Amino acid sequence: MTLNTNQRPAASEPMGQIATSRARIWDLPTRAFHWLLVLAVIIAAKTGFFGPANSLDWHLWSGYAIGALIVFRFVWGLFGSEFSRLDRLFGALRQLPEHAGGLLRLRPKHYLGHNPAGSLMIIALALVLLAITATGIIVLGGVEKQGVLAAVTSYDLGHLAKGAHQLLAYLLMAMIVGHLVGVFGEILLLRVPLVRGMITGWLPVPSDTLRSKWRPARPMLALLGAGFAVIAIGAPLLPLSGLPAHGVPTPVVAGSTYAKECGACHWSFHPSLLPKASWKLIMSSLDQHFGDDASLPEKSAAKISGYLQANAAETADTEPANRLRDVNPDDPTRITKTQFWQRQHHELASNLFTNAPVKSKANCAACHRDALTGHFDDQAIDIPQSTQTGDSP
Amino acid sequence: MKRLTIVLALASLSLGAGFAFADAKRDAILADLTAQSKTADSAFAGFDAARGKAFFLASQSGGKPDTPSCTTCHTKDPNAKGQSRAGKEIAPMAVSKTPDRFTDPEKVAKWFLRNCSSVLGRECTAAEKGDFITYLAGL
Repeated sequence: MTLNTNQRPAASEPMGQIATSRARIWDLPTRAFHWLLVLAVIIAAKTGFFGPANSLDWHLWSGYAIGALIVFRFVWGLFGSEFSRLDRLFGALRQLPEHAGGLLRLRPKHYLGHNPAGSLMIIALALVLLAITATGIIVLGGVEKQGVLAAVTSYDLGHLAKGAHQLLAYLLMAMIVGHLVGVFGEILLLRVPLVRGMITGWLPVPSDTLRSKWRPARPMLALLGAGFAVIAIGAPLLPLSGLPAHGVPTPVVAGSTYAKECGACHWSFHPSLLPKASWKLIMSSLDQHFGDDASLPEKSAAKISGYLQANAAETADTEPANRLRDVNPDDPTRITKTQFWQRQHHELASNLFTNAPVKSKANCAACHRDALTGHFDDQAIDIPQSTQTGDSP
Repeated sequence: MKRLTIVLALASLSLGAGFAFADAKRDAILADLTAQSKTADSAFAGFDAARGKAFFLASQSGGKPDTPSCTTCHTKDPNAKGQSRAGKEIAPMAVSKTPDRFTDPEKVAKWFLRNCSSVLGRECTAAEKGDFITYLAGL
């Protein structure tokens, strides 16, 4: 089995031909981390890029898992076995020029553990994943008014973070491609079974390697470190998570004049879904109300107008309130004519809105279970099956 | 057992009284419409369920284009639930299915005003309203 035991392998020789012994380079926590991260990223990317909107919970939990995995990996980088350690990872960067030179000649040297280019990629991946997790939590708080930051994040900040979150997600996809090219490039050039190595932990090792220098894992210290990390991250967030979300409106009250009168023909549109000026227009033309006469006795009309003005879009900071404030200037009373509404609903079959049970684009509550609260959470969307074939255009 | 009988008897009595009460209120509305009809037409000879049915089922003109008939929203079967144009469920029009129909004068006035305007483009006459209620109360 052992060949050339006294001969150091030449840097330019493909390792697979010379390596003569094998060692467990990746310990179990590092391997588990890698594949759990792969799984979490696949779920997060699938639900993030392709939806559907009501899979937000999957996106959130895979995102939380990614954040937790990266934090765990950082702790394991301090207390794990030799090749899991951060100093190994960062130390490898010193050989980056040498490695790059070898790669350019398509004859890279074989490195134990993370090779220099790989180290750079792993560090960058961890940072980008952390940034995606952090921006995601800001988006969740500001735009969706959910999660630990909901009390302290404005829609505007959340919206800004959403841009960064999306940009970083595209960057991550490119980096994953880079990671895969690197791994399979090394497999081809050096014939090192890297994929199998990340599953079993075993990889070929030059026989003259000094294994006595390999530090063992310190699982108890790692456990302490992980506990400390949980407390350090959780302690400042815990009090925040108990606070009420910022700028969330009060739900429409069942039995109120508004709910009774307006809710007789259509669901009681939450007042935060249109700005004050639009409600004023609607209330001043009730005899021409979207193709119907919806005239009201003066007394209830005045009461309803007051309620609508006091709770219009300008008074809330939810995503619908912020986006639907931007009415279509040609048709300022129709929510469905706003750019935002159309962008959010363009993937839905058009006959969904003509067939029972939804029947109308104005029937928000047919799919949005929480419509009366004005929240319109992604998770609260349930699209019913059409029960009849309508005369869709 | 005896107590249960009393409770049941009281319950059915109050339910019956409730219906009777509702009927009395509806009768008051109809009486008012009768008086108005007589003022409008001295030859008025009472409401007619058959006329009310024809009115309910007819395709009207003069109203808004999306609502040519009562049946647009209420369906052709007064015993069935209807659906507003915005997708909201409407309780059946038949009084046998929705016992509190035509018992609140303000509500009755509001809906005739709105829906006659939407379907016919004018206010309904007292005779039309009376026929309509008579038809739906008799189902």
